[in-house]
Amino acid sequence: MSTLLTYISINDGKIKRSSLEVLSRCNELAEKHGLKSAALIIDQDPAPAAETLKTYGPSVIYTIKNPIFKNHLNTPLLKALSTAVKQIDPRVVAFASTEGSKDILGALAANLSAAALADMSEFDLTDDGVKGKRPIMASKIISAVEAKGTPVVLTVRSGSYDVVEKQTDSSVESIDFAFSEDELKVTLKEIISASSDRIDLSEAEVVIAAGRGVKDEEGRKLISELASVLNAGIGASRALTEGGAYDPSLQIGQTGKVVSPQLYIGVGISGAIQHVAGMANSKVIVAINKDPDAPIFDIADYGLVGDLYKVLPPFIEELKKIKQN
Amino acid sequence: MKFYVCIKQVPDVNAPLQIKDGQLVQDADRNILNAYDASSIEEALVITEAHGGEVEAVLIGPEKAKETLRKALAMGADSGTHIVTSGDENYDSFAYAKILATFFKDKEYGYILCGKQSQDTDSGLTGSMLAEMLNLPYSTNAVGLELQGDHIVVKRQGDTGQEMIELASPGLVTCSNDMNDPRIPSLKGIMQSKRKPVDTIALSDLNAGISEADTKTNILSFEEKPEREPGKKYEGEPEEIARQVAQLLDTEENVI
Ligand SMILES: Cc1cc2nc3c(=O)[nH]c(=O)nc-3n(C[C@H](O)[C@H](O)[C@H](O)COP(=O)(O)OP(=O)(O)OC[C@H]3O[C@@H](n4cnc5c(N)ncnc54)[C@H](O)[C@@H]3O)c2cc1C
Repeated sequence: MSTLLTYISINDGKIKRSSLEVLSRCNELAEKHGLKSAALIIDQDPAPAAETLKTYGPSVIYTIKNPIFKNHLNTPLLKALSTAVKQIDPRVVAFASTEGSKDILGALAANLSAAALADMSEFDLTDDGVKGKRPIMASKIISAVEAKGTPVVLTVRSGSYDVVEKQTDSSVESIDFAFSEDELKVTLKEIISASSDRIDLSEAEVVIAAGRGVKDEEGRKLISELASVLNAGIGASRALTEGGAYDPSLQIGQTGKVVSPQLYIGVGISGAIQHVAGMANSKVIVAINKDPDAPIFDIADYGLVGDLYKVLPPFIEELKKIKQN
Repeated sequence: MKFYVCIKQVPDVNAPLQIKDGQLVQDADRNILNAYDASSIEEALVITEAHGGEVEAVLIGPEKAKETLRKALAMGADSGTHIVTSGDENYDSFAYAKILATFFKDKEYGYILCGKQSQDTDSGLTGSMLAEMLNLPYSTNAVGLELQGDHIVVKRQGDTGQEMIELASPGLVTCSNDMNDPRIPSLKGIMQSKRKPVDTIALSDLNAGISEADTKTNILSFEEKPEREPGKKYEGEPEEIARQVAQLLDTEENVI
């Protein structure tokens, strides 16, 4: 009852930055409320991540190791989480909001008969639970919410908190867990993944987002060039992921991902609220659109009114020059 | 195979919104079928049209929400159940999932489909809560469904790629609006929907036993998202504005 537990998401052996953001917040809350911050790694090989985590301040690092966790599958993950939570008895179980954590949050809450809060942009402890804020109505409105009981399970939007490094003498404790394939109620047959050397969109410092205005191969080439000059992640609006021009995992917005980079550049994107819901927290917003009345200009810090095919080449040229100096 | 589709009436996020006395007030009365649920209905219709079977839509909501159930029938669902609430309940996802679990307790079906989230609150909890309460295998954020013999294969959008998942029946799937383009009801569909069977159950008659403890979260207040400071628009020669903004991103913003 005195532990704040952060679940650590690992992708390709690497800890997701958004998990470290959540852990940093839990460290801060633990200190403020006189509690203990702990981390939980569930993976086929949790040891390397556990080692890395010692730089990020949890007093205990719990690990569950099993080959079944090579890929995301909800049945074993749910069982492992439920096992861990029953053993650790935390006040809060906090996750970074990812497609993996969204997959199990509701089921975990039902399994534990616990309160669940999804996609929080802020959270703190109360005497008997958690309070915080979350965006609703396609992020037009922020609602203040509270949850009562123990534990409270919650997910946190990426970019809501800063990562703070903190060297600690964390102890590593492994939790016993057995799982037989017979228990699998779902079977993963195949993973269709887009090229793997891509920059993780939700962690990118710079994001270039392509919209319907990027209508052909030439346009996509300009987007790639711009992204490579700025070492940026490429995202897209629904208009382009739907049409197959960009991989569906690159969709930014209400249905897709939430990004909060230092710099977002929207190219040929109108700025529909469902898209804006996924990028409005970017630090600097640049929009390139030929329609001076496009809604994206209402939120852009720098709005370039013009044809993207004419604006991008000199823009890329100039950025290259700046980079070289 | 029988498909149940859980649907919800939601306020249109595009309609003007205000916060009055701490409550969200919508200028016009613009309620719609949740877009993610519309995709669930569409997918159930596509599957049953190809392989036979039936589709029943289930809606929890006040009397007024019946129009949304009618829309599902007009799209092509065979029948509907309306679990009628007063509209004043402060239920959260957990309480709604428990009501649905009570409804489904003695039902037989191949799969239950739900929207992956609702357009107004974006919580995305009810589907997997319901699956866990009914002890069903489930998959969320589906962008494709295919019936193969007696089970379905779900194409699920994960963080970096799509996962192909075999899901035993009975099971539950939550659907993304990236799955399909829901059909617009035809005039014929609308006419036919009026004769389709709708079972109306008062929430109190369902004996779901919803107690205060089942609403585990509360909304305390609303505030408008702070607006961003308006920026500057650059119009004119493409070469010139491109150079100018590139320079400013470096010198003023330090983000290059
Ligand atoms: C429930 C729901 C969820 C949704 N979720 C998402 C989501 O997650 N992400 C998302 O993106 N959308 C989402 N949408 C869809 C969203 O409403 C918009 O339809 C979509 O974002 C539009 O994409 P777009 O801006 O690329 O296209 P459009 O709105 O068609 O805009 C294209 C823009 O490009 C400009 N343009 C065209 N040619 C050029 C040129 N040569 N040079 C410069 N500019 C040019 C045009 O002026 C226009 O402004 C969702 C919708 C619903 C209902």
